[in-house]
Amino acid sequence: MNTAADRSQAMPRVEVQFDRPHRQHEPRDQVAVRYRIEGCDGERIRAIEHSVLWYTEGKGEEDLGVHFFQRITDRAMMPPALSTGAFSTPLPQSPLSYEGLIVKVRWCVRVRLFFDGSRDFVSEHVFVLGRIPPARLSESRA
Amino acid sequence: MRLPRFFAKKRGHRRTGSRDWGVFGDGLFHGTLLVAGLCFGAILVSGVAAPEWRINHEFRESKGTILAKGLARTTVADPPGTVITSWRPCLRVRYLTDGTVRESWSHGPSAENTPDREAALRRLAEWKLGEETTCWYDPSAPQTVVLQRGYSWWLWLLSLLLPGALVLIGGTGLVRGLRAWGKSEEHRAASVGLSELLDPLAQPAQAAPGYPAVPVWDDLVNSPGTILRYRLPIESPESWTLVGFGLFAVLWNAVVVVLAVGAGLDLLGGRIDWWLFALLVPFLGVGIGGGVLFARSLVFATAIGPTQLEISDHPMLPGRRYDVLLAQGGTGTIRSLTLSLELEEQATFRQGTDTRTEHVVVWKQPVADFHDVSAEPHSRFEARAVVEVPQDAMHSFTSAHNAVRWRLVVRGTPERWPAFSRIFPVVVFPPNAELAAPPPRPLASRDALRSTEVTR
Repeated sequence: MNTAADRSQAMPRVEVQFDRPHRQHEPRDQVAVRYRIEGCDGERIRAIEHSVLWYTEGKGEEDLGVHFFQRITDRAMMPPALSTGAFSTPLPQSPLSYEGLIVKVRWCVRVRLFFDGSRDFVSEHVFVLGRIPPARLSESRA
Repeated sequence: MRLPRFFAKKRGHRRTGSRDWGVFGDGLFHGTLLVAGLCFGAILVSGVAAPEWRINHEFRESKGTILAKGLARTTVADPPGTVITSWRPCLRVRYLTDGTVRESWSHGPSAENTPDREAALRRLAEWKLGEETTCWYDPSAPQTVVLQRGYSWWLWLLSLLLPGALVLIGGTGLVRGLRAWGKSEEHRAASVGLSELLDPLAQPAQAAPGYPAVPVWDDLVNSPGTILRYRLPIESPESWTLVGFGLFAVLWNAVVVVLAVGAGLDLLGGRIDWWLFALLVPFLGVGIGGGVLFARSLVFATAIGPTQLEISDHPMLPGRRYDVLLAQGGTGTIRSLTLSLELEEQATFRQGTDTRTEHVVVWKQPVADFHDVSAEPHSRFEARAVVEVPQDAMHSFTSAHNAVRWRLVVRGTPERWPAFSRIFPVVVFPPNAELAAPPPRPLASRDALRSTEVTR
């Protein structure tokens, strides 16, 4: 039986650094990400996936649109051989990040680690695309 | 070994089902459908299709004499407590098989069974006692003889359609599950190809080229305006209500007519089925009510007259101003007629087994307001206004279950009729968008319309 200490030891950490301060990007900007994987404690990683995507939040079912996807299975590109990684991609013109009342659109970078066996771990890092102010109920600008 | 958890945490405070158990349940469901389809198909093929095929391909031809005839009765309990009786002509035939004279009752196809005894008797009368006829017998069981061959196409169709549908639904579900097995949701979403074919309902709406999740606007600019460039299509809630009332009235009253005809035939035959009459009275009441509601909605829809909205350009861009022309037809006076630009969010979600859609107007800007508007049959009310999309506006957005929609809304309060609203969807692009050329239209007609605009 795993103890709490064992579980915390088995929980990896992915530290992500964006190239832009405040993670604020404009459409057609290049988003560049560097990351470092720590705390795998000898667990073997068989694949790493990089993705840049948008998803919806709010009252509706979650929708997802993947803008960039990359799967790495080369052992030389992942821990323990290499604990850092980087990827970049130009951002699209839409959809822009949006903070609505029942519909929200969020952009994020995900780094997903697949361990030997069936376990996987995902690290998600939200950023903002565009400069749309949050919606407020029945706001009129007349 | 650790079993997958039944519940996994999503974002925020919501808890959702475990994906592993979901995939397992989905696979089990579709696997069951597939197996059921295969078994059902095998039963139908072996019980219906194969015997007919054998009669047509393997039975040997011979000459026979009809010795006796009668009706075979089949009684089946359906539902328990009642029985259904069906009849089928049967003929006793003397025939020759490999030098041996045999006598046997003919085996007709099960499709010959009919609940109408008179019809079975009429068919039986077509056969004459002592008549010489061609017959076919089973070489592996010579006592099995038939006097007619052919195929029951509807049985073959049934035996293909029902199991085929089960196999198709179960098979595509299983293939979809197997393709997704072991893949992350990002990997699945990034995969292209079969997913659209396997799960067409889960696909997002078509997006504008180069602008993911922004809806296409082709359907909104395929109608030229009379004064401005485009006439926007209308999306009227009242029209859908009218269609709904109409469908309900037609379908319900069709049921009432069927019941009434049954009751009338009973009366003519000297029987009175009091249960049928008791059922007919409330059904008739609802039918009349449905008809009245439909007629009332139809009068409202036609009495107010059409509303048209034309716009100088489309799709719209944040920070830009657009001319719009509001035209209201019909007769009579409308106390108040307003035009507004609105932003509506739409979210579709599942609640138990229901799928619900919620709409919230999160932004509204009055554009124009008119009072005591008079429209004549040959002279519609027309007014121009300017619509400005805010610089920091969210663009139109659409995905499989969520949407952010822009629309121009005309609301009116007629003097003698209930208030109405008419919605004209528009598409707003992201700021600084470089719009592609609009869909091709006849240049001559556009030039003509533009010159009309200038001359006014």
